[in-house]
Amino acid sequence: MKLTAQDLTVGYGPRSVFSNLDLSLPSSALTVIVGPNACGKSTLLRTLARLLPVRHGSVLLDGADIHSLPTREVARLLGVLPQSPLVPEGVTVADLVGRGRQPHQSWWQQWSEHDGVAVREAMGQAGVADLARRPVDQLSGGQRQRVWIAMTLAQQTEALLLDEPTTFLDLAHQVEVLDLLRRMRDDGRTVIAVLHDLNQAARYADHLVAMRDGKVVAAGPPREIVTADLVRDVFGLDCVVVPCPVTGAPLVVPA
Amino acid sequence: MTAIGVGRASFVVRRRAVAVSAVILVALVITGVLALCLGKPYVAPGEVLRSVFGESTPYDVVVQRLRLPRVVLAVAVGACFGVAGALIQSVARNALASPDVVGITQGAGLAATIALTSGAAAVVIAPAALGGGLLAAAAVLGLGSRHGLAAQRFVLAGVAVAIALRALTEIVMLTAEPIDGQRAHIWLVGTLAGRGWTETTWLVVTLLVLLPVLAWAGWALHTSALDDDTAKGLGVRPVARRAGLAAVGVLLAAMVTAQVGAVDFVALVAPQVARRLVRAERPPLITAALTGSLLVVLADLAGRLLFAPTQLPAGVITAAIGGPYLLFLLVRRKS
Repeated sequence: MKLTAQDLTVGYGPRSVFSNLDLSLPSSALTVIVGPNACGKSTLLRTLARLLPVRHGSVLLDGADIHSLPTREVARLLGVLPQSPLVPEGVTVADLVGRGRQPHQSWWQQWSEHDGVAVREAMGQAGVADLARRPVDQLSGGQRQRVWIAMTLAQQTEALLLDEPTTFLDLAHQVEVLDLLRRMRDDGRTVIAVLHDLNQAARYADHLVAMRDGKVVAAGPPREIVTADLVRDVFGLDCVVVPCPVTGAPLVVPA
Repeated sequence: MTAIGVGRASFVVRRRAVAVSAVILVALVITGVLALCLGKPYVAPGEVLRSVFGESTPYDVVVQRLRLPRVVLAVAVGACFGVAGALIQSVARNALASPDVVGITQGAGLAATIALTSGAAAVVIAPAALGGGLLAAAAVLGLGSRHGLAAQRFVLAGVAVAIALRALTEIVMLTAEPIDGQRAHIWLVGTLAGRGWTETTWLVVTLLVLLPVLAWAGWALHTSALDDDTAKGLGVRPVARRAGLAAVGVLLAAMVTAQVGAVDFVALVAPQVARRLVRAERPPLITAALTGSLLVVLADLAGRLLFAPTQLPAGVITAAIGGPYLLFLLVRRKS
């Protein structure tokens, strides 16, 4: 599932966050969007996910404009995990993951056998199956984030967009979530995430998009685009880029 | 959670909600029969049942004409308030929201007060109250919708509208003839005394007409506790959905207030009691309706018996229960 932004202009009020942006994201790959605070990366992700209206231009999902598709149909093609979603009070894990089936249901067809299978599979993939009966608000941050991811997995969409899914997690849980994203990619899904940590992005991404001031500065495989010059351009930081001793991916070390 | 299949259709029910609803239904039937028995004269349960099922007994007038219409009306009133409260609380994401908090009751009260003090015919009062309640609700939804009907904004707009309308009602009452002001005051305290089949018919017709919408609402409430971005990601249009749910809630609340006046706090208490008993994140509609019915039947019965022969309006009893309950909610929230 290929996601393309064409001549995209988006803003809040009179201010434009970015203008005339063109971007093409590869299918069945893990794309990570990075950039300094307020560079527009979250706004871009939210626009691609149809959470924000566009002022100009279009977002194409396999060639179809997502802003002219019906809302439910978009939700069957494209799942979204917003930044720090609100946990309903007292809801159990299985119940919350089940809400991911919403776009496949209607008021007179509230639950099918297929819904049950999808929920069980999603909980299994995200490693939360043994938490199924627990209330979500009693879980740790890492477990909770995996529950949310399970909810978007239960939606069974080909594309998945995640806004900073590792924020507020400790390092071990960050790696857990990133490994999960990679497994989703291995299943053939198109995964797009905004991440804060450039080194994690360089290690996990197939395709990296670096943004600054609402513009895409560079886009491509991390090994090709992550250089000391790029980091200075994008983050204003002097650094040395060395190969990671474990994976060989570019590793940014501040100078 | 269990899914029930009917042909191609399927519905999700919680086992606990079914069990709780069944228990409340039994309690409601028992209380209903008690309400038919107790009072002056006392009628034995056997006689009550025989009279209700059409046999001729010496108590037909008391049971069929005086008590039965009131009990049935109490059931209908409670169900409407329970469902209205459940919907409004879910949309507002606030256990303290209810029709009397967000201005609907006050809108109905102002319109009824104007009608009563301007010498309008008695038949005009209920339609005027309905119109007033709906206008107030429209004002609240209009004010609250400017930023996508965010939960807090909706409640704040409602509180503001409620205060303004109450002040206006006071002005109308104070400037009216004392006798008219008195009549308006009596209307404002909700009561079932002297009311019966006509009011019941209106409420039952309203519920029946809204039944398909309520079936939709029961399902649509699934996403009401999610934030807007998450809901949008699931293919829901959250603002439209909230507006639809709130509209059904205010329509029911305005309708029932127009028929019996302000039976305060039922819409506030019933959904929360139902939610706690079912242990769900939001009040289930059917359980809230049954809880509301039970509350109003009990309140009306208590009002009839406590200070007999003086009858207290059901609205006074529910307010007397509701006040402490509100405090209990506030205290428990902090801990």
